[in-house]
Amino acid sequence: MVEAAVKEKKYPGNFRRPYIKAGRHYLEGSEACVEGALVAGLKVYAGYPITPASEIMEHASRRLPQFGGRFIQMEDEISAACALIGASWAGAKAMTATSSPGFSLMQEAISFSIMTETPLLIVDVQRPGPGQGYITTSQEDVMQARYGHHGEGPIIALAPSSVQDMFELTIEAFNLSEKWRTPVLLMVEETVAHLREQLIVPELDTIELIKRKKPQDLNISPETYLPYGHDIVPPMANFGEGYNINHVGLVHSEDGNVSNYSLKVHRENIDRLHQKIEGNVNEIARIESQFLDDCDHVLICYGSVARTGLEAVKEVREVHGIKIGFIRLVTLWPFPEEKLRSLISKVKNVFVPEMNLGMIKHPITEALRDKCDRVISIPEIGALHSPEKLIDQIIKGSTC
Amino acid sequence: MLKHPMLKYIREEGPAGKRLPFILCPGCGAGQVLNYTLHAVDEIINQPGVKKEDFVFISGIGCSSRLTSHYLNFDSGWTLHGRALPVATGVLLANPKLKVIVFTGDGDAAAIGGNHFIHAFRRNINITVICVNNGLYGMTGGQVAPTTQPFTITPTTPYGNVEEAFDLCKLATVAGASYVSRWTTAHPFQTIKAIKKGIANKGASFIEILSQCPVHEHKTPVEMINALKGMTVSIDKSMNSNKIPVGEFHFAPRPEWTERYEAIIEKCNERIS
Amino acid sequence: MGRVLGAAFTIHEGINSVNTHSYGPESRGGSCRSEVVVSKGEIYYPNVRKADILVALSQPALDTYKRDLKEEGIVLIDPNSVKDVPKSLVCYGVPAMEIAHSVGNVKYLNSVVLGALAALLKSMIKKESLKSAVSENVPPKTIEKNLEAFEKGWTHIMNANMAVAEYEKEN
Repeated sequence: MVEAAVKEKKYPGNFRRPYIKAGRHYLEGSEACVEGALVAGLKVYAGYPITPASEIMEHASRRLPQFGGRFIQMEDEISAACALIGASWAGAKAMTATSSPGFSLMQEAISFSIMTETPLLIVDVQRPGPGQGYITTSQEDVMQARYGHHGEGPIIALAPSSVQDMFELTIEAFNLSEKWRTPVLLMVEETVAHLREQLIVPELDTIELIKRKKPQDLNISPETYLPYGHDIVPPMANFGEGYNINHVGLVHSEDGNVSNYSLKVHRENIDRLHQKIEGNVNEIARIESQFLDDCDHVLICYGSVARTGLEAVKEVREVHGIKIGFIRLVTLWPFPEEKLRSLISKVKNVFVPEMNLGMIKHPITEALRDKCDRVISIPEIGALHSPEKLIDQIIKGSTC
Repeated sequence: MLKHPMLKYIREEGPAGKRLPFILCPGCGAGQVLNYTLHAVDEIINQPGVKKEDFVFISGIGCSSRLTSHYLNFDSGWTLHGRALPVATGVLLANPKLKVIVFTGDGDAAAIGGNHFIHAFRRNINITVICVNNGLYGMTGGQVAPTTQPFTITPTTPYGNVEEAFDLCKLATVAGASYVSRWTTAHPFQTIKAIKKGIANKGASFIEILSQCPVHEHKTPVEMINALKGMTVSIDKSMNSNKIPVGEFHFAPRPEWTERYEAIIEKCNERIS
Repeated sequence: MGRVLGAAFTIHEGINSVNTHSYGPESRGGSCRSEVVVSKGEIYYPNVRKADILVALSQPALDTYKRDLKEEGIVLIDPNSVKDVPKSLVCYGVPAMEIAHSVGNVKYLNSVVLGALAALLKSMIKKESLKSAVSENVPPKTIEKNLEAFEKGWTHIMNANMAVAEYEKEN
């Protein structure tokens, strides 16, 4: 059982903060992401330029000081990720944005943040690889998001499909990172980052913000504070509050001690980290779906492919009379296996279009092994699937 | 029983206690560095207006970086190899009022951390970097480091080192540190004073402390400390000497990173009417 | 340009629009592509499937992208840069480069084209909306000149007096 994280709904502070106004805006995905982060309380941005993520960084460099926050361009992606760790330890909500090659560089820091349970947000604006690949769109980091960091350690990764998502999911990402005391990834594609479309911002005081649970909130004194204890999501003291918190990346016990190593301590450490996220997958992960009652097939997708997916599904249903349902994974990791299974009773084909040669199709296949006849992967490299391609594949797959 | 005065800053008791003895080898210079640092910090904490909770210790990986790990009864972070400086930078971005002290070693700072070394000093961000320089990679077995003298035999230079060593103080000065000084574990009082000055300096301070690693050098600690004393000479007397100069190399305060950024924050908020 | 058009629809008229631009393999040879999809409803697929209007500012652009035009679609070109137009296409021309020069600078070319587009789209979007979008998306010092360029583009198409058919942009 996780205790409710402290919720804050106000926007206090000495600086007059020029938040984005409620109402209709016409923004690029990159801008919407930063605006969402600012609404969530972003205080520190440390980045490094890389196409196609530099717009997010540039926008943050303009806006952050207006909120009393601090922006820095570091000397490389590694130091950018490390700066986020320090900032988070000192109490700030911190983020960076990079692209696939930079994301690879950040993996050690991500692994370390998982072990030290440091909330932070990394946006990966994916581009094709391997190597420098190209600067167009891709979903090729899906597996890197979950398994790129060394060691057993779960992570949360969200996949926005629209500019509205870039705003909302950034806020959700911060909330998740604070609530579960974990790094969170926003797996964006170049398509969504550079897309310009309508953003409807609600009244800011209707947006729920979550702040990390601190030992002070639970009346735990510095003398009895255990940095990795008290709860499955340990309360986190910030630097400068007198709690003398020691952050350690070696296997540790609840009090942060590394010198009492034993296989038991090791296993308990890893198991708790795992349980914290994977054990709470039903609370953390989100799926959206349509047309699922009485469908013969289903299309499962994420990110910008979900847009093509929905268009294709609608056309296939209306024009070709094929009963196909639509599922969009909002959360990629932890993979919502149970939720997915509960949505589908029995279908013939599961179509999985991805802008890679087939990555999320693997956990999908495992999850729906007994619920479908086959999983058909529809890969596309370097560009968004066109509705024509999906429609074609769906018709082919459904008729043979 | 007499108790070491600096033990008040070490996690001996409580739920987070029982972390001693230190993992450091007997005779290791890093322990002395911790002692000197805590003395310096202790003197500063006793000044009016300074709170113990303002201090934050960040370290990388290596024997020197073990000094924060989980021994200190201060806010601390034992981070990634070579990345203590960017983490420390991040801490200051979030809260520039904290007094950030970085423990690092010669390999941690100058090899894998080399890039961050030069940039942290270029930025003159308000950190005090204490570099325990034992001329090799202690934790992993004594391998060659960027600070190992040529011809030295180490596990990875079994035929002799073919490289020259960095002069870390020169490197820090050229990169832009506003306070640079070098001492050794054989100079306790001078080191404590240097660390105090480094912490007081509003900017990036670099204090290199030449230290002994008796285990990998296969000598006794006493031999090595005497050697450290013998191979060094004060800067003012170093002109005609082959010995390693120690003392204050550079002290030129200049605008600090968060100070400069503060001006930007003020400006940005002025514009919004 | 796509951005201004999109802003005009979405901000000033409250109609949903999506703007993408690609600099992929298509941008070799100097063509890059900006797309605007407008709809009274939701827009799923963000790119143009088949275009109602193609604005081609160079010959390679027309040659490459005319395949994406609907049968009943129309083309807007600068006749000084695009000489070779297939007879089957309904084509409007505005000498945008020339007009931009006459206003003072080739930079104003986009506004000329937007003015021409405004005339072609006048059944779908008010001229004022596009003018407002232009004003909001150019450096303040250049607003006057850009609006002048816009007017000239508008006038040129209106004077050409070709019947502008009414049609909906799909999606």
